[in-house]
Amino acid sequence: MKILQSSGVPIYQQIADQLQADILAGKIKQGEYLPSIRGLAKDLKISVITTMKAYEQLEALGLVTAVQGKGFYVNAQDSEMMKEQHLRKVETALLEAIQAADIAGMPDSELIETLTALLSMKEN
Amino acid sequence: MNVNNVINGQDIKKKFRGFELNIPSLQVPKGFATALIGENGAGKTTLLNILAGIRLDYKGNLTFFDEAHTLEDETTKDQIGYTGPGNYYLPNWTVSQVKTISELLFENFSAKRFESLCEELGISINDFNMKNKKVIALSDGMRMKLMLAGVLARDTKLLILDEPASPLDPLMRDKLCELIRDYLDRGNGETSVFFSTHNISDMENVTDYAIIMEHGTIVEQGFVEDLKEKYILVKGEKEHIQAAKKILYSCSSNQYGFEGICLASKLDQLAGMDVSVETPSLSQISIAVMKANTKLQMKFA
Repeated sequence: MKILQSSGVPIYQQIADQLQADILAGKIKQGEYLPSIRGLAKDLKISVITTMKAYEQLEALGLVTAVQGKGFYVNAQDSEMMKEQHLRKVETALLEAIQAADIAGMPDSELIETLTALLSMKEN
Repeated sequence: MNVNNVINGQDIKKKFRGFELNIPSLQVPKGFATALIGENGAGKTTLLNILAGIRLDYKGNLTFFDEAHTLEDETTKDQIGYTGPGNYYLPNWTVSQVKTISELLFENFSAKRFESLCEELGISINDFNMKNKKVIALSDGMRMKLMLAGVLARDTKLLILDEPASPLDPLMRDKLCELIRDYLDRGNGETSVFFSTHNISDMENVTDYAIIMEHGTIVEQGFVEDLKEKYILVKGEKEHIQAAKKILYSCSSNQYGFEGICLASKLDQLAGMDVSVETPSLSQISIAVMKANTKLQMKFA
Protein backbone atom coordinates (compact mmCIF):
# COMPACT_ATOMS: atom_id res chain seq x y z
CA MET A 1 0.00 0.00 0.00
CA LYS A 2 1.27 3.46 -0.90
CA ILE A 3 0.50 6.47 1.26
CA LEU A 4 1.22 9.97 -0.02
CA GLN A 5 1.62 12.57 2.71
CA SER A 6 0.83 15.67 0.66
CA SER A 7 -1.38 14.53 -2.21
CA GLY A 8 -4.38 16.54 -0.96
CA VAL A 9 -6.33 13.31 -0.42
CA PRO A 10 -6.68 12.61 3.31
CA ILE A 11 -4.59 9.63 4.41
CA TYR A 12 -7.58 7.72 5.79
CA GLN A 13 -9.23 8.12 2.38
CA GLN A 14 -6.16 6.76 0.60
CA ILE A 15 -6.18 3.69 2.83
CA ALA A 16 -9.92 3.16 2.44
CA ASP A 17 -9.68 3.51 -1.35
CA GLN A 18 -6.83 1.05 -1.68
CA LEU A 19 -8.41 -1.53 0.61
CA GLN A 20 -11.71 -1.09 -1.20
CA ALA A 21 -9.99 -1.75 -4.53
CA ASP A 22 -8.31 -4.84 -3.07
CA ILE A 23 -11.60 -6.16 -1.71
CA LEU A 24 -13.51 -5.50 -4.94
CA ALA A 25 -10.73 -7.09 -6.96
CA GLY A 26 -10.93 -10.15 -4.73
CA LYS A 27 -7.37 -9.76 -3.41
CA ILE A 28 -8.73 -9.81 0.12
CA LYS A 29 -11.31 -12.57 0.17
CA GLN A 30 -14.64 -12.92 1.89
CA GLY A 31 -14.27 -13.89 5.54
CA GLU A 32 -10.63 -12.79 5.72
CA TYR A 33 -9.65 -10.27 8.38
CA LEU A 34 -8.15 -6.92 7.52
CA PRO A 35 -4.78 -6.21 9.20
CA SER A 36 -5.26 -5.09 12.81
CA ILE A 37 -5.79 -1.35 13.22
CA ARG A 38 -2.69 -0.84 15.34
CA GLY A 39 -0.60 -3.22 13.25
CA LEU A 40 -1.43 -1.36 10.06
CA ALA A 41 -0.75 2.00 11.73
CA LYS A 42 2.65 0.70 12.78
CA ASP A 43 3.49 -0.62 9.31
CA LEU A 44 2.33 2.51 7.50
CA LYS A 45 3.86 4.85 10.11
CA ILE A 46 0.61 6.69 10.71
CA SER A 47 -1.62 7.21 13.72
CA VAL A 48 -4.08 4.62 14.98
CA ILE A 49 -7.05 6.95 14.63
CA THR A 50 -6.33 7.41 10.91
CA THR A 51 -6.49 3.67 10.17
CA MET A 52 -9.54 3.41 12.40
CA LYS A 53 -11.31 6.07 10.37
CA ALA A 54 -10.45 4.26 7.13
CA TYR A 55 -11.88 1.01 8.49
CA GLU A 56 -15.02 2.76 9.71
CA GLN A 57 -15.54 4.10 6.21
CA LEU A 58 -15.23 0.60 4.73
CA GLU A 59 -17.74 -0.57 7.32
CA ALA A 60 -20.16 2.19 6.33
CA LEU A 61 -19.85 1.06 2.71
CA GLY A 62 -20.87 -2.42 3.82
CA LEU A 63 -17.60 -3.97 2.68
CA VAL A 64 -16.44 -5.14 6.10
CA THR A 65 -17.96 -5.95 9.48
CA ALA A 66 -16.40 -5.10 12.85
CA VAL A 67 -16.25 -7.80 15.49
CA GLN A 68 -15.59 -6.60 19.03
CA GLY A 69 -12.12 -7.64 20.10
CA LYS A 70 -11.30 -9.43 16.84
CA GLY A 71 -11.10 -6.80 14.14
CA PHE A 72 -12.72 -6.29 10.78
CA TYR A 73 -13.57 -9.12 8.38
CA VAL A 74 -14.53 -8.84 4.72
CA ASN A 75 -18.20 -9.37 3.93
CA ALA A 76 -19.55 -11.53 1.17
CA GLN A 77 -19.54 -9.23 -1.83
CA ASP A 78 -22.78 -9.37 -3.69
CA SER A 79 -22.05 -8.99 -7.38
CA GLU A 80 -24.77 -6.37 -7.93
CA MET A 81 -23.23 -4.17 -5.27
CA MET A 82 -19.76 -4.67 -6.71
CA LYS A 83 -21.01 -3.62 -10.13
CA GLU A 84 -22.62 -0.59 -8.56
CA GLN A 85 -19.33 0.34 -6.86
CA HIS A 86 -17.41 0.03 -10.12
CA LEU A 87 -20.05 2.02 -11.96
CA ARG A 88 -19.73 4.82 -9.44
CA LYS A 89 -15.97 4.82 -9.95
CA VAL A 90 -16.38 5.10 -13.73
CA GLU A 91 -18.84 7.95 -13.30
CA THR A 92 -16.53 9.90 -11.03
CA ALA A 93 -13.61 9.50 -13.41
CA LEU A 94 -15.71 10.55 -16.40
CA LEU A 95 -17.07 13.56 -14.53
CA GLU A 96 -13.52 14.61 -13.82
CA ALA A 97 -12.70 14.28 -17.52
CA ILE A 98 -15.74 16.38 -18.45
CA GLN A 99 -14.66 19.12 -16.04
CA ALA A 100 -11.13 19.08 -17.43
CA ALA A 101 -12.49 19.30 -20.99
CA ASP A 102 -14.65 22.23 -19.93
CA ILE A 103 -11.66 24.11 -18.54
CA ALA A 104 -9.72 23.43 -21.74
CA GLY A 105 -12.67 24.66 -23.83
CA MET A 106 -12.92 21.29 -25.54
CA PRO A 107 -16.29 20.76 -27.31
CA ASP A 108 -18.35 17.69 -26.34
CA SER A 109 -17.85 16.10 -29.74
CA GLU A 110 -14.09 16.19 -29.33
CA LEU A 111 -14.37 14.66 -25.86
CA ILE A 112 -16.41 11.78 -27.23
CA GLU A 113 -13.91 11.34 -30.07
CA THR A 114 -11.09 11.14 -27.55
CA LEU A 115 -12.93 8.48 -25.56
CA THR A 116 -13.65 6.49 -28.71
CA ALA A 117 -10.03 6.76 -29.77
CA LEU A 118 -8.84 5.56 -26.37
CA LEU A 119 -11.29 2.67 -26.44
CA SER A 120 -10.13 1.57 -29.89
CA MET A 121 -6.52 1.72 -28.71
CA LYS A 122 -7.43 -0.64 -25.86
CA GLU A 123 -9.03 -3.09 -28.31
CA ASN A 124 -5.90 -3.26 -30.39
CA MET B 1 -16.92 5.21 18.16
CA ASN B 2 -16.95 3.48 21.51
CA VAL B 3 -13.93 4.52 23.53
CA ASN B 4 -12.99 3.79 27.13
CA ASN B 5 -10.68 6.02 29.10
CA VAL B 6 -7.31 5.17 30.57
CA ILE B 7 -7.39 8.32 32.71
CA ASN B 8 -10.46 10.01 34.14
CA GLY B 9 -10.18 13.18 36.18
CA GLN B 10 -12.60 15.60 37.77
CA ASP B 11 -11.90 19.05 39.19
CA ILE B 12 -8.14 18.71 39.22
CA LYS B 13 -6.80 21.83 40.92
CA LYS B 14 -3.42 23.09 42.02
CA LYS B 15 -2.65 26.67 43.00
CA PHE B 16 0.72 28.32 42.79
CA ARG B 17 1.50 31.98 43.25
CA GLY B 18 0.42 33.56 39.98
CA PHE B 19 -0.72 30.32 38.38
CA GLU B 20 -3.63 28.01 38.82
CA LEU B 21 -4.21 24.60 37.30
CA ASN B 22 -7.95 24.03 37.06
CA ILE B 23 -9.24 21.17 34.94
CA PRO B 24 -12.95 20.44 35.47
CA SER B 25 -12.84 17.26 33.45
CA LEU B 26 -10.03 15.18 31.95
CA GLN B 27 -10.39 12.11 29.76
CA VAL B 28 -7.51 10.33 28.07
CA PRO B 29 -8.73 7.59 25.68
CA LYS B 30 -7.55 4.00 26.17
CA GLY B 31 -5.62 2.30 23.38
CA PHE B 32 -4.38 5.51 21.77
CA ALA B 33 -1.53 8.00 21.79
CA THR B 34 -2.62 11.35 23.22
CA ALA B 35 -0.57 14.53 22.84
CA LEU B 36 -0.63 17.30 25.43
CA ILE B 37 0.06 20.59 23.69
CA GLY B 38 0.40 24.12 25.06
CA GLU B 39 2.76 27.04 25.47
CA ASN B 40 5.43 27.25 28.16
CA GLY B 41 3.80 27.69 31.52
CA ALA B 42 0.41 26.35 30.41
CA GLY B 43 0.56 23.69 33.13
CA LYS B 44 1.49 20.61 31.10
CA THR B 45 4.25 19.39 33.40
CA THR B 46 2.20 20.12 36.53
CA LEU B 47 -0.62 18.00 35.13
CA LEU B 48 1.67 15.15 34.05
CA ASN B 49 3.42 15.16 37.43
CA ILE B 50 0.05 14.81 39.14
CA LEU B 51 -0.92 11.95 36.83
CA ALA B 52 2.41 10.17 37.34
CA GLY B 53 2.07 10.40 41.11
CA ILE B 54 5.09 12.68 41.46
CA ARG B 55 3.08 15.62 42.74
CA LEU B 56 0.69 14.75 45.51
CA ASP B 57 -0.43 18.22 46.68
CA TYR B 58 -3.46 18.67 44.46
CA LYS B 59 -7.21 18.57 44.76
CA GLY B 60 -9.55 16.49 42.67
CA ASN B 61 -10.43 12.96 41.66
CA LEU B 62 -8.33 10.73 39.47
CA THR B 63 -9.01 7.21 38.30
CA PHE B 64 -7.04 4.99 35.93
CA PHE B 65 -7.81 2.05 33.65
CA ASP B 66 -11.58 2.25 33.09
CA GLU B 67 -12.16 4.05 36.41
CA ALA B 68 -11.19 0.88 38.25
CA HIS B 69 -8.06 2.13 40.02
CA THR B 70 -6.66 5.15 41.83
CA LEU B 71 -2.99 6.09 42.25
CA GLU B 72 -3.13 4.81 45.83
CA ASP B 73 -3.78 1.25 44.64
CA GLU B 74 -0.51 -0.68 44.79
CA THR B 75 -0.84 -2.10 41.29
CA THR B 76 -1.58 1.21 39.54
CA LYS B 77 1.93 2.66 39.62
CA ASP B 78 3.40 -0.65 38.45
CA GLN B 79 1.33 -0.26 35.32
CA ILE B 80 2.46 3.31 34.61
CA GLY B 81 5.78 4.23 33.04
CA TYR B 82 7.07 7.81 33.28
CA THR B 83 9.87 9.82 31.72
CA GLY B 84 10.45 13.51 32.23
CA PRO B 85 12.88 16.35 31.73
CA GLY B 86 14.48 15.98 35.17
CA ASN B 87 17.06 13.46 36.30
CA TYR B 88 15.10 10.29 36.74
CA TYR B 89 18.17 8.21 37.45
CA LEU B 90 20.65 9.31 40.10
CA PRO B 91 23.54 11.23 38.50
CA ASN B 92 26.23 8.90 39.81
CA TRP B 93 24.74 5.67 38.52
CA THR B 94 26.52 4.17 35.57
CA VAL B 95 24.61 2.97 32.55
CA SER B 96 25.01 -0.66 33.55
CA GLN B 97 23.92 0.15 37.11
CA VAL B 98 20.73 1.62 35.68
CA LYS B 99 19.98 -1.84 34.33
CA THR B 100 20.81 -3.66 37.57
CA ILE B 101 18.90 -1.22 39.77
CA SER B 102 15.86 -1.18 37.48
CA GLU B 103 15.76 -4.96 37.72
CA LEU B 104 15.65 -4.68 41.50
CA LEU B 105 13.12 -1.86 41.56
CA PHE B 106 10.58 -3.16 39.08
CA GLU B 107 9.25 -6.68 38.92
CA ASN B 108 8.01 -6.12 35.39
CA PHE B 109 11.41 -4.93 34.10
CA SER B 110 13.09 -7.11 31.49
CA ALA B 111 16.89 -6.69 31.34
CA LYS B 112 16.95 -8.46 28.01
CA ARG B 113 14.43 -6.09 26.52
CA PHE B 114 16.31 -3.13 28.03
CA GLU B 115 19.49 -4.23 26.27
CA SER B 116 17.81 -4.68 22.92
CA LEU B 117 16.07 -1.27 23.28
CA CYS B 118 19.41 0.36 24.11
CA GLU B 119 20.93 -1.11 20.95
CA GLU B 120 17.91 0.02 18.95
CA LEU B 121 18.28 3.55 20.32
CA GLY B 122 21.99 3.70 19.63
CA ILE B 123 23.30 3.20 23.18
CA SER B 124 26.01 0.56 22.92
CA ILE B 125 25.35 -0.94 26.34
CA ASN B 126 27.93 -3.70 25.97
CA ASP B 127 30.69 -1.28 25.06
CA PHE B 128 33.11 -0.89 27.97
CA ASN B 129 33.14 2.92 27.92
CA MET B 130 29.39 3.23 27.65
CA LYS B 131 28.72 0.64 30.36
CA ASN B 132 30.73 2.59 32.89
CA LYS B 133 29.61 6.04 31.87
CA LYS B 134 27.78 7.93 34.59
CA VAL B 135 24.30 9.25 33.95
CA ILE B 136 25.51 12.79 34.67
CA ALA B 137 28.09 12.52 31.86
CA LEU B 138 25.48 11.66 29.25
CA SER B 139 24.15 14.26 26.82
CA ASP B 140 20.48 15.29 27.16
CA GLY B 141 19.59 13.17 24.15
CA MET B 142 21.42 10.09 25.48
CA ARG B 143 19.82 10.51 28.91
CA MET B 144 16.35 10.65 27.33
CA LYS B 145 17.09 7.57 25.25
CA LEU B 146 18.26 5.73 28.37
CA MET B 147 15.04 6.70 30.18
CA LEU B 148 12.92 5.60 27.23
CA ALA B 149 14.71 2.25 27.10
CA GLY B 150 14.19 1.90 30.86
CA VAL B 151 10.49 2.67 30.72
CA LEU B 152 9.78 0.59 27.61
CA ALA B 153 11.61 -2.41 29.07
CA ARG B 154 8.88 -2.61 31.71
CA ASP B 155 5.59 -4.33 31.08
CA THR B 156 3.15 -1.44 31.56
CA LYS B 157 -0.28 -0.32 30.43
CA LEU B 158 0.23 3.44 30.35
CA LEU B 159 3.18 5.64 29.46
CA ILE B 160 3.30 9.24 30.66
CA LEU B 161 6.09 11.00 28.77
CA ASP B 162 6.92 14.63 29.54
CA GLU B 163 8.56 16.16 26.45
CA PRO B 164 10.16 12.97 25.16
CA ALA B 165 10.95 14.41 21.73
CA SER B 166 12.65 17.67 22.76
CA PRO B 167 16.21 16.44 23.35
CA LEU B 168 16.14 13.93 20.49
CA ASP B 169 17.51 14.39 16.97
CA PRO B 170 15.17 13.94 13.97
CA LEU B 171 16.25 10.34 13.44
CA MET B 172 15.53 9.47 17.05
CA ARG B 173 12.19 11.31 17.01
CA ASP B 174 11.22 9.03 14.16
CA LYS B 175 12.38 6.09 16.24
CA LEU B 176 10.36 7.36 19.21
CA CYS B 177 7.22 7.42 17.03
CA GLU B 178 7.98 3.88 15.94
CA LEU B 179 8.42 2.73 19.54
CA ILE B 180 5.12 4.35 20.56
CA ARG B 181 3.26 2.67 17.69
CA ASP B 182 4.88 -0.63 18.59
CA TYR B 183 3.83 -0.19 22.23
CA LEU B 184 0.22 0.45 21.17
CA ASP B 185 0.27 -2.48 18.75
CA ARG B 186 1.62 -4.93 21.33
CA GLY B 187 -1.05 -3.85 23.82
CA ASN B 188 -3.78 -4.39 21.22
CA GLY B 189 -6.04 -1.66 22.58
CA GLU B 190 -5.12 -2.10 26.25
CA THR B 191 -2.04 0.15 26.29
CA SER B 192 -2.05 3.95 26.02
CA VAL B 193 0.48 6.77 25.77
CA PHE B 194 0.07 10.32 27.07
CA PHE B 195 2.91 12.66 26.11
CA SER B 196 3.50 16.40 26.11
CA THR B 197 5.29 18.00 23.20
CA HIS B 198 6.27 21.21 21.46
CA ASN B 199 7.41 19.26 18.41
CA ILE B 200 3.92 18.79 17.04
CA SER B 201 4.86 18.17 13.41
CA ASP B 202 7.41 15.50 14.31
CA MET B 203 4.86 13.72 16.48
CA GLU B 204 1.75 14.30 14.35
CA ASN B 205 1.86 10.91 12.66
CA VAL B 206 1.70 9.14 15.98
CA THR B 207 -0.91 11.37 17.61
CA ASP B 208 -4.46 10.03 17.82
CA TYR B 209 -5.96 12.42 20.33
CA ALA B 210 -4.85 15.95 21.19
CA ILE B 211 -5.42 17.97 24.34
CA ILE B 212 -4.49 21.65 24.09
CA MET B 213 -3.89 23.59 27.31
CA GLU B 214 -3.65 27.31 27.98
CA HIS B 215 -3.07 28.98 31.36
CA GLY B 216 -3.92 25.99 33.48
CA THR B 217 -6.95 24.64 31.71
CA ILE B 218 -7.95 22.62 28.66
CA VAL B 219 -9.07 24.84 25.77
CA GLU B 220 -9.53 22.24 23.04
CA GLN B 221 -9.40 18.47 22.72
CA GLY B 222 -10.46 15.71 20.38
CA PHE B 223 -9.41 12.96 18.03
CA VAL B 224 -7.07 14.43 15.44
CA GLU B 225 -9.24 13.28 12.53
CA ASP B 226 -12.25 15.04 14.10
CA LEU B 227 -10.28 18.24 14.76
CA LYS B 228 -9.25 18.22 11.10
CA GLU B 229 -12.92 18.32 10.17
CA LYS B 230 -13.80 20.96 12.73
CA TYR B 231 -11.08 23.40 11.64
CA ILE B 232 -10.38 24.29 8.02
CA LEU B 233 -7.37 26.09 6.59
CA VAL B 234 -8.50 28.93 4.35
CA LYS B 235 -6.51 31.12 1.97
CA GLY B 236 -7.86 34.14 0.12
CA GLU B 237 -7.11 37.35 -1.76
CA LYS B 238 -6.33 40.66 -0.09
CA GLU B 239 -9.59 42.45 -1.00
CA HIS B 240 -11.48 40.17 1.40
CA ILE B 241 -9.12 40.51 4.39
CA GLN B 242 -11.35 42.74 6.49
CA ALA B 243 -14.53 40.74 5.91
CA ALA B 244 -12.74 37.43 6.44
CA LYS B 245 -11.14 38.56 9.71
CA LYS B 246 -14.61 38.87 11.27
CA ILE B 247 -15.46 35.28 10.38
CA LEU B 248 -12.18 33.40 10.80
CA TYR B 249 -11.14 31.77 14.06
CA SER B 250 -7.59 32.95 13.54
CA CYS B 251 -6.18 34.93 10.67
CA SER B 252 -2.91 36.37 9.46
CA SER B 253 -2.55 38.61 6.46
CA ASN B 254 0.07 40.34 4.33
CA GLN B 255 -0.03 42.56 1.26
CA TYR B 256 -0.89 39.65 -1.03
CA GLY B 257 -3.71 38.00 0.85
CA PHE B 258 -4.76 36.23 4.01
CA GLU B 259 -4.51 32.80 5.52
CA GLY B 260 -6.34 31.50 8.53
CA ILE B 261 -8.23 28.79 10.31
CA CYS B 262 -12.00 28.79 9.95
CA LEU B 263 -14.46 26.73 11.95
CA ALA B 264 -16.13 24.32 9.52
CA SER B 265 -19.50 25.47 10.88
CA LYS B 266 -18.74 29.01 9.70
CA LEU B 267 -17.36 28.14 6.29
CA ASP B 268 -20.66 29.06 4.58
CA GLN B 269 -20.17 32.68 5.61
CA LEU B 270 -17.08 32.89 3.41
CA ALA B 271 -19.18 32.22 0.30
CA GLY B 272 -18.44 34.66 -2.50
CA MET B 273 -14.93 35.40 -1.26
CA ASP B 274 -13.20 33.01 -3.67
CA VAL B 275 -11.14 31.28 -1.02
CA SER B 276 -9.24 28.02 -1.33
CA VAL B 277 -9.60 25.51 1.46
CA GLU B 278 -7.24 22.85 2.77
CA THR B 279 -7.13 20.37 5.61
CA PRO B 280 -4.89 21.87 8.29
CA SER B 281 -2.12 19.93 10.03
CA LEU B 282 -2.37 19.32 13.76
CA SER B 283 0.42 21.83 14.15
CA GLN B 284 -1.59 24.53 12.33
CA ILE B 285 -4.71 23.76 14.39
CA SER B 286 -2.74 23.87 17.63
CA ILE B 287 -1.15 27.21 16.81
CA ALA B 288 -4.54 28.70 15.91
CA VAL B 289 -6.10 27.47 19.14
CA MET B 290 -3.13 28.68 21.17
CA LYS B 291 -3.19 32.10 19.49
CA ALA B 292 -6.91 32.45 20.16
CA ASN B 293 -6.46 31.65 23.84
CA THR B 294 -3.08 33.08 24.75
CA LYS B 295 -2.59 35.97 27.10
CA LEU B 296 0.49 37.05 25.21
CA GLN B 297 0.10 40.04 22.94
CA MET B 298 0.74 38.73 19.47
CA LYS B 299 2.22 41.63 17.55
CA PHE B 300 2.66 39.68 14.34
CA ALA B 301 -0.84 38.21 14.19
